[in-house]
This record gives sequence, C-alpha cells and structure tokens, in this order.
Amino acid sequence: MKSLLVALLLAAPAAAQNAHWEKAALPANIKWVTNDADPLYADPGAKKGGTFRTCAGGCLASSFPLTLRTVGPDSNDSFRTALLANQMSMTYYHPNTRNPIPGLATHWAYGDDDKTIYYKINPKAVWSDGVPVTAMDFAFALEMMRSKDIVAPWYNEYYSTKFDKILIIDDHTVAFRGTEKKNHNDMHYFYDLNPRPRHFHKLGPDWVRDYNWKVEPNTGAYQISKVEKGKEIVFERKKDWWAKDLKYFKNRHNVDRIVMTVIRDPNIAYEHFKKGQLEGFPITTPQYWHEKATGDIYDKGYAHKLWFYEDRPQPEYGMWLNQDVELFKDLNVRLGFQHAMNVEKVLKTVLRGDYERLNSNAEGYGKATDRTIKARAFDLKLADEYLAKAGWGKRGDDGIRVKDGKRLTARVTYGAAAHTDRVVVLKEEAKKAGIELTLQLLDSAAAFKNNLEKKHEIAYSGWGAQDQPEYWGQYHGKNAHKPQTNNFSNTDDPKLDKMIDDWRAEFSETKKAELSRAIQRRIWEIGAYIPTWKVPYWRIAYWRWLKWPKPPGTKTSDDPITYVLKESDAWDGMFWVDEDAKRETMEAMKAGKAFPPVTIVDKTYKED
Amino acid sequence: MSRFRLDPLTRKKFARFARIRRGYWSAVILAAAIGLSFFSEVFVNSRALVVRYQGRWYFPTYGAVIPGKTFGLDYEYETNYRRLKAELAAKSGSDFVLLAPAPYNAYENDLQEGIYPPTAPSFADGHYLGTDTSGRDVLARLVYGFRTAIIFSLLLLMCNYTVGISIGCAMGYFGGLFDLLFQRLIEVWSNVPFLYVIIIVASIMVPNFFSLVFIMMFFGWMGMTWYMRTVTYKQREREYVLAARALGASDAYIIFRHILPNTISVIVTFIPFSVSGGIVALTSLDYLGFGLPPPTPSWGELLRQGTNHLDASWIVLSVVLSMIVLLTMVTFVGEAIREAFDPRRHTVYE
Repeated sequence: MKSLLVALLLAAPAAAQNAHWEKAALPANIKWVTNDADPLYADPGAKKGGTFRTCAGGCLASSFPLTLRTVGPDSNDSFRTALLANQMSMTYYHPNTRNPIPGLATHWAYGDDDKTIYYKINPKAVWSDGVPVTAMDFAFALEMMRSKDIVAPWYNEYYSTKFDKILIIDDHTVAFRGTEKKNHNDMHYFYDLNPRPRHFHKLGPDWVRDYNWKVEPNTGAYQISKVEKGKEIVFERKKDWWAKDLKYFKNRHNVDRIVMTVIRDPNIAYEHFKKGQLEGFPITTPQYWHEKATGDIYDKGYAHKLWFYEDRPQPEYGMWLNQDVELFKDLNVRLGFQHAMNVEKVLKTVLRGDYERLNSNAEGYGKATDRTIKARAFDLKLADEYLAKAGWGKRGDDGIRVKDGKRLTARVTYGAAAHTDRVVVLKEEAKKAGIELTLQLLDSAAAFKNNLEKKHEIAYSGWGAQDQPEYWGQYHGKNAHKPQTNNFSNTDDPKLDKMIDDWRAEFSETKKAELSRAIQRRIWEIGAYIPTWKVPYWRIAYWRWLKWPKPPGTKTSDDPITYVLKESDAWDGMFWVDEDAKRETMEAMKAGKAFPPVTIVDKTYKED
Repeated sequence: MSRFRLDPLTRKKFARFARIRRGYWSAVILAAAIGLSFFSEVFVNSRALVVRYQGRWYFPTYGAVIPGKTFGLDYEYETNYRRLKAELAAKSGSDFVLLAPAPYNAYENDLQEGIYPPTAPSFADGHYLGTDTSGRDVLARLVYGFRTAIIFSLLLLMCNYTVGISIGCAMGYFGGLFDLLFQRLIEVWSNVPFLYVIIIVASIMVPNFFSLVFIMMFFGWMGMTWYMRTVTYKQREREYVLAARALGASDAYIIFRHILPNTISVIVTFIPFSVSGGIVALTSLDYLGFGLPPPTPSWGELLRQGTNHLDASWIVLSVVLSMIVLLTMVTFVGEAIREAFDPRRHTVYE
C-alpha cells in the first residue's frame, strides 16, 4: 500500500504537466487579426523624465503593502494594481472604443469552438531580467494559478473550472482554451492569463513565504528599484522597454520614477500635497473639491483642478428591499418605498449637487443600457397612493402608518459610517411618507455578511462596476432565498429568470444588448432595487508642472493620481512632468509671483 | 426607609460636604441640569409650545403628531411649526405659534439648497451652535446627547453597584471558600479585554441603549467588589456586629441594617467618578462608532464629526467645551465628597 502511494506521488507531477498544457497544431483555417486602426489617445508631445510622487496604495487609504506577491495571502490590497499594471496582458481593450488592442500579443485568432483564443506573442517581449517571454511562461502561469502552493483558493477554483488548457503551438504562438463558449469580444476578457516568469518561481510549500518580498521580473514599463519596508517603494522606468514604441503604448509612461510613500492619514497626505511634496491629489468628494481644495496655491495658479467626466460602467449604488420579508412581498409597498426615498434631497444638500441620480441597475454599458429608464422620484402623493393600496392608509399617533396594529417600519442595514449623513436624511424624509426607517450601522464586513445571509430588510449597499452587468448573481431566482449569494433583493421572477438565462447564452452582441435592456426594464418593474447615486467623474488637484493630453483622460479612465499604475487597462501613465514648468513654478513661488488660476471641467465624454 | 436611616456621622459628612462651596454648587448645578434635561422637549424642540389656530389652542410638545392638515396645510406629515409661525405671522390674525427657545429637534435635517452643511452658528436661523454635517442642530444634539449620556451613566452606575456591592459584601461577610472562588473569578473576568468584546458584539448586532448598559455592566461590576469586600471584612469584626450576632440577628439583617449603612461613605465617594467614567465610556464608544446606533444624538458622534471637520470648528468646540465643563463639575463634586467623607476626620479608634 505504502509503495503504491509513493508511486502515485511520484507520478503526480508528470501527470499535472499535462493537465495544464499540451502541444498542438494551428487549425488550417485560422484567421489572424490585429488592431492598429483605432485612434490614439496619448499626446505625441509628451516629454520623458521627472519624478512622480504619490502615496502607496492611494492617498485616501495609504498603507504599506503586506507583500510584493500578486497572489496568495494578503496580496489583494490596493497596492497590487501597481504591480499587476506592469504584468502585461495579451491584449487590452481600447479605452475609448472598447475594441481589443495588442499588448503582449501582436495578433490573435478565434477557434471554431468559441472556447479557444490563439495569440502570437510579440517576439520582442522580454522579462525585465532580459529573458524572452515564451509560450511556456503561459503554461507555467496556469500551473501556478492552479497550484495549492500559492494558497489562493479563489484562483485555484477559477483557473481550474474556467480554463481547460494552454495549447502550445511554438515558442511564440499559444492558445488558451476555456470551458465555456464566449463571444469573440468577451474571450479577451475571460480567457486572458498573464504570463509568469517560469525561470524565477520555484513552487513549493514555502512559496508564499519565500517570495513575499522578492521583486518578480515583469514585462511592463516600470520595475521596482527600491523597497524601504514600511515607508517607501520606488518604481523606475525601463529606458529600453521592449514595448515603448508599440502604437498604443507610445507617449505613455513618461515619468522616470514613481515614488510611492506611505502617508497613513489622508489629511496629512493632503498637507504634503499642498507643500508640493506630492504631484497630485484625488479631490473627488465634495468636501475636498469645494472646501479643502481652496486657498493660496490654487488662487495663485500653482496648483490646478481638473474635473473629468468619464463614460464607463457605473457602480451600482442603492437600496435593495428584501422580498423574503413579509412587508416587501407586496409590489405596492415596494413602489411606495421607491417614492418615499428622497434621494434627490440627499444629492442636492449633503452631496452638494455634485453626485447624480443613478437611474437603473446597469448604467454606462453603452447599448446594453436602457437610458429611457428613470429612477422613481420622491413623490409623497404617489407613495401615499401605493401604500394605501397595500392597506397602509392610516397613520398612527406618531405620524407613522399603521395596519392591523402594526407600524410601517423597516430596518436599513449599511456598512459605512461616512454614509450616515446621507441615510439620516432619507430617514427623516421617509417619515413624511409615514414610513419609519430604523438604521443599522455595522462594520463594513459585517454589513456585507449580514446582507449575504439575507438577514437584512433593506440593504443599503453598492456593487463595483464590472465589464458586464451582473444580472445573474444579483437578480436570478436561482440565487434567491439562500445565504451567500448576491441577490440582496431575493428577486425570484420566472419571467426575469428566463430573460437572464437567454442573455447569458446569447451570442450576438446586438441581441444581447436588446435583452440586457429588457432585463433592466423588468428589474425596474419589480421595484425591489432603489437606485441612489452615481459619480460619473473624477476630480483631482495637481501641480501645474504636471501636463496632460487633450482630453486628459479616456472614456474609461479612472482617477490617474490614485491609479498612477493601473492593471489590465491601457489608459494609465498619460501625463508627463514638465521640468521647465516645475523650475518656473518654484521660482515664482519664491518670488511671490502668481499665475492665472486654472480649473478645468472636461465634458468630452459626459453622457446626456 | 427606616432600615436605611443615616447615622449622625454620615449626616455630619453631608453637612461638611455642603460647606465645600465648589463641590456643593457643582452638585447643585449638575442636579438642576439633569433635572431640566428630562424636560428638554420644552426648551429644545421643533414642535411648538403653543399654537393658537382658528380659536383653538394646541400644545404639541408632548403627545401625538399633529399633521399639517390640522392647520390648513397641504400635507399629512408632522407640521413644520417654524414655517407655520412665519405663515400665521404674515396673516396678522389672532393666530400665533410660540416656539421653543431653540426651535429644532435632534433628528431633523435643516437643509436648504445652495447652503451646504455644516453651517456656522446663526441666531437668525435659531441654530445657536450651528449645524452638523447633515444639517442637524448642534445644540439640540448636545442637549439630547447629554440626557442620553447622563441617563446611561446613572443606569449603568446602579446596575454596577447593585451587582458589585452585593457580591463584594457577600465576599467580605461570608469569607472562606466563597470569597476565594469569587476572588479568582473576578481576577479572570477583569482580564477580559472589555473594549474588544464590545467591538465584536457591536459588529455582529446593533447594541441598543439597554443592551449596551447590560454589556458594560457585565464587564464593569468588578470594580466595586474589592472595596466592598475590604470594608465589609473590617465591619464584620467590629463589636456591634458581634453583638448583633450574639442577639441572634440573621445574616441579611446584619448586612442591611448594620454593615451597609456603615459602608455608605465608601460607596458615595465613588459615585461621581463612576458617573464621569460612564459618560466617558459611552462617548468614546460612540466616537469609535461602536456605541448607540445612529441617528441617536450622542456626544461621541458629535466629537467624531468635529474631529473630521476641524474647519467647522463650532462642532468640535461645542462638544469639547461641554465635556470639559461637565467632567470638571463631576470631578469637583467627587473631590468634595472625598474630602467630606475622609475617614481620618471621623473615625475614632479606641
């Protein structure tokens, strides 16, 4: 028995190899495609050089990373995006057209089975230590993602179930085969796997510990040149980066050095910025934009302000009425609640009119979004009408509606103390409609868990934006009435389920968009989701020596100060440092000379 | 009451306390403030004190909500009396509205378009201490927060002392194995990191007023036991206890009739410090966000808003100054009591 076990163990590694990759030949009818026809968005006048100073992990929540690994325990923090930004993908989506553009791959082709995507690796591609990137690095990456040694169950699971195999045609031609059919555009998203330097990693039980602080060779524009634990990480631009002349990478990644310092308190970080010790600062929130970002450095034009509208999928903020709660089983009650939430007042007062009303659960998805759907407005008459229809016509002594001796009260669970300002306004306004909202503020993780377990009555929460609307997880009946699913409203509607199933299986992009719009309409009709707000822009303050292309961002750009390096997107690093302007500013500050103040509001990509 | 009559010595101590002016007046002011806070609705309230409308009198302060329709307004929710006052004044009839001196309650958001909270103190608007970050009146939140804090603290004190004194007394009186067991139990119990427990509990369930009192009592009763145990030990050996026992008095009779009255000076000395301790504990929990659930008015929550918005100095100043005044007064009272009850002045050993 023992010998058999040993034999099995010995055989295992050899068998595992085959589970991750196999040699294959190209199909005879293969059609290679590439994309060099889409417009450029970086500025041809950009100058190389200079230093960009910012906070490690973003200035609003800066901390030193717990590891330099990108997978495994403690790796999933905000610093990782900077590491992964320098691990190039095969292809990217063009930040304006959303078409695939070349990255590590020069060409790609789709298999007839709709599960396989072929790539030609750029023969110039090298790791930062000079070793060429080859097909085996991709095979190794899959093996690594599936390995127990990296202690990353989600990755293990995802890459074991969604990926079938890596097909190796030759050193610079490779294919990824998945397990589910996807349309061509989606394949770039789902069947994407960044290579890992095979010559660098030695998997084993100690991998997590051994590689915790090792700087992994990468393929991107920058590499870490200095790590001062607890304090600072410096990224240095590769002077002869292999991809620097690629069409969509030219004139980006201009600064020579990116210094990321740990400044734990945002207020202190902002003071650093005001002294000119940081190049920029995110000031999206009304408090910063209107109050903190005022004063001398802005009035004298040393620092500029930029308000940039983007056009991309919006996070889904809102309130989900739990339909497993007796009260919310009644459509009229749900609609009554919809009209009793004075989101407009929150927007106009607490949020200073800066945020906008979110209208549906899937905004910013282009044709897949039905823009005719509008969120139900605060309307006491309608609220009264619907609630009276549901039998809640009478009011008690305290002004709250009553029915059969019960008061109309519902608990709102939320997980961010900073949102109390907003929730209390909703609560006070709902009183006018005869509804009592009780507030349950939990710690954010506890609130999320509470909602996942469907213990809430009303979940006040939000979902990050995805590349595709998340209908199945949040609104499909399959995910209703059970814990640990994202269907916070416990929506269980056979008609909607059918539409979501069709949408998931649909292949043609036009039909899929059509279905998507119908789904949004149906979710609106069910009325268990009350959309709240969106922030379709970012706002930053920066010193005048930081220069930007025109327009300063792309449709899908995020705040470029927080995301100075951004993974799996091709819009980062578009700014540059103008050393002459810097010298000029420094001298002007010494002499007390002023420049005209500058506040730019860029609406190039503003919707509506 | 006859069981708990104060002995002449204790009465002497109270008389001495009254002569310490600083402590005495602090106690008077505090008592008045606490007493008045139970009627805060009369002083700080969005509801009017008196409304005279079409020949009828209304007193909305206490009681049911009076919907706007009653006063000929077009809504069914609670009347906005400030606006009603302006409207009735404009009509120049015999109708009028008499508002509370500070015409806001602790929950309503006084928000107007174009003016963003927090707003600075303004006598014209009736926001004497300005508004907080969601447009609520700081004075109203301060007053109602004080009431919450003081009731919380007194309730907590009663619970803690009831449990602490009973167990401490029993430990001292019975001694032996009972004493030994409880000593160890208290030692272990004292080492439970109380703040963490509250944080854990608060993140799982939302504590309400009473559950918070209960949790804090659960981990706070030990303090009193040591003192009570020592004092009881001492008293138990005194001749009068022996005499009572020789006369056949029961344990309960001896404890309540003889020992407790003689320990009252110890208990009284601790009360003011326990009160301030309770207020500080609630405030710090609220500050950290683990105290009473929003939107309960609380000083800790105001303090947090204030420190996050130092540019809106009226928030942080109001609450910090109130805390300083309150805690200083409580400390004055404590000092005076300690002074008045100092055993060295009164005890005569033979």
